[in-house]
Amino acid sequence: MTQLVQALVLGLLIGGVYALMASGLTLIFGVMNIINVAHGALLILVAFVTWKTWSVTGIDPILLSIIMTPVMFGVGWLLYKGVLSRISGSSPGMSVLLTFGIAITIEGILNVTAGNRFRSATPSYFSESYRLFGISLPKAQVYGCLAAVIVLGLLYVVLAKTWTGRAIRATAQNASGAALVGIQSAAVAALAFAIGAATTGVGGSILSVLYPFFPASHYDWISRLLGIIVLGGMGSLAGALVGALILGLAETLTATYGSLQWSTLIFYAVIMLVLLFRPQGLFGSRLRQDVMA
Amino acid sequence: MAKQHKPRNAARGRWSATPIRGIATTAVLMLAVAACGTAPSEQTASGNSDDPIVVGISLPLTGDFSQPGGEARKGYEIWRDQVNADGGLLGRQVELKITDDASNQDTVVTDYTKLITQDKVDLLLGTFSTLLNFPASAVAEKNGMLYVEPAGGAPKMFDRGFTKLFFSQQATAPRQPEVFVDYIRTLPENERPKTAAYPTQDDPFTTPVIESMQKQLEELGVETVYTTTYPADATNFQTIASAIAAAKPDLIAHGAVFEDGVGLIRSLQQLNYSPEMLFQTSAPTNAGQYSDGIGIANTEGIFFTVSWNEKANTPKNEEFVAEYAKRFDGAIPAEDAADAYAAAQVVQAAVEAVGSLDDQDKLADWLHANEVETILGPLAWDETGAPTGQFLLGQWQNGETEVVAPADAATVDSAVAKTPWQ
Repeated sequence: MTQLVQALVLGLLIGGVYALMASGLTLIFGVMNIINVAHGALLILVAFVTWKTWSVTGIDPILLSIIMTPVMFGVGWLLYKGVLSRISGSSPGMSVLLTFGIAITIEGILNVTAGNRFRSATPSYFSESYRLFGISLPKAQVYGCLAAVIVLGLLYVVLAKTWTGRAIRATAQNASGAALVGIQSAAVAALAFAIGAATTGVGGSILSVLYPFFPASHYDWISRLLGIIVLGGMGSLAGALVGALILGLAETLTATYGSLQWSTLIFYAVIMLVLLFRPQGLFGSRLRQDVMA
Repeated sequence: MAKQHKPRNAARGRWSATPIRGIATTAVLMLAVAACGTAPSEQTASGNSDDPIVVGISLPLTGDFSQPGGEARKGYEIWRDQVNADGGLLGRQVELKITDDASNQDTVVTDYTKLITQDKVDLLLGTFSTLLNFPASAVAEKNGMLYVEPAGGAPKMFDRGFTKLFFSQQATAPRQPEVFVDYIRTLPENERPKTAAYPTQDDPFTTPVIESMQKQLEELGVETVYTTTYPADATNFQTIASAIAAAKPDLIAHGAVFEDGVGLIRSLQQLNYSPEMLFQTSAPTNAGQYSDGIGIANTEGIFFTVSWNEKANTPKNEEFVAEYAKRFDGAIPAEDAADAYAAAQVVQAAVEAVGSLDDQDKLADWLHANEVETILGPLAWDETGAPTGQFLLGQWQNGETEVVAPADAATVDSAVAKTPWQ
């Protein structure tokens, strides 16, 4: 019983962090039809900057996300204005090529400037746990998950309760319709991309504490995150959350009751089953091709 | 519009199909002829004794293996510069032609084929990982070229009947744990571990090591209480750590590549489970990165097997370590750089002993018959190219990696007990 509870709790803690990392990716796809393959590279970039700042100044890496988030908002905005806006209206395939190029560029820059070696931030609490009724809750994982919940909550409030959020959601649902009622879709797109990139400010800071990383780590992360948002439904924030929790639980449950070797297989088997019956993913909506055309 | 275009395009396509196929066939035939022909060194003008000797290498400079690939390049380049400063090889300067295979099996095949058939290099040196060396060595063997690899010790490398493949470390993967098992055998019976857990990454270089260690330790009477294999992309180790802590083994023998080694130890620390004895395959050899990852105080007493140590009293080792430090901000060389340097030393020894590059068979025959002194220590091979030596048993002591066995290579007098997590 304790074993099961331990696996469930850990799965949720891990899934919470995955959800935060996937949220920006799904938001950007939802609004702009851009599959941002560079999302993983942005996470690793933030992890590097966070690790470096932590090792020089000693400021807590997860706290550093308060600085990294606005910085990444700016980076995202510049990336969109400078590069991605040029392919607006093209097929998602084009965005994959372009953002893959950005990912490789970031990897290359990190290789040259930060060096091709593993890093991980080790603040004092990284090896400690809270104990609760025989269940152990690693502190870093708990803090990471808390930060993720806060960011996801804020993101939800912004999207659901503010005019800006409504404009973003309107553009996501029907870009032409939104333009007709006076929403400046170009500005909204830049904003959504910037917000999506800003989530890596927190995600990357948490990553630097939880997982050792090196410049090419972004391939592992982007494949995991894409799996999550395909399962949840591309473009859906709630879908990203549920998809991430399913992946987290798949990892801990298979590792507890079988072998971790099966976790990837089980996760992708779930994706295949879901896509068989709901091609749009758990929370995705079918694209209205008549409106798109 | 579309109606008008379609038939014309289709007609053009059909019309051009035959010549293209013809050209492709010719190209394939030409390649086949080139590949079956005489050894590349005989076809080129590089027999001229003033030309530099060109050594062709493909390395994973980008992608998954970019880290060891980059280190291997440093090792090869330091060897080249030192050989050239000493007057070259057979009196000729040495030039390296290094290409990037992006950690991709198809690219590495293309790279070595091109190095042999188009660039007509004089010698080859191997790439990194079993994954890449497996197809690359087949290209070399097919073209009759000597292939000394600095990594790639999985058993499947050596059951293909190759005659020009040599692995320039001390032992293949399944024989890697022997030195650790021997060490446990020397302990008094009451100090030996009674139970052991064997987690390992699903990797051709870790799984055979751990499986073989489990078998050998079971024969010694060590009871197995936990085993698991996890995939290379695993990032969360808390569940495995919980299962290990519940099984309470005296020894954890972990097949760890790198980040998984750090990840599992961090999870064990979070559970505050410290085994009496901890062994990991290659993770602890990444000196600074490993101690940064788990905390330097927590490294004390961790065992590992390794092919090389910076303090070893082997020929050229001191010069290599000094040159590496000079070039890279005082850093200690990574094991991968040292392995690459040693591979180049092996080729150098063969070329100098045979005295010519014309016959790659002679180079291979010489290596099969002789022992070579390298910075790793003496290396010798059986008829499959598998090395016949023993790895070094390393241990973290006082924040540094030391060699505790075998006795003639040891850098310290004895092993120390593992301390609990700090």
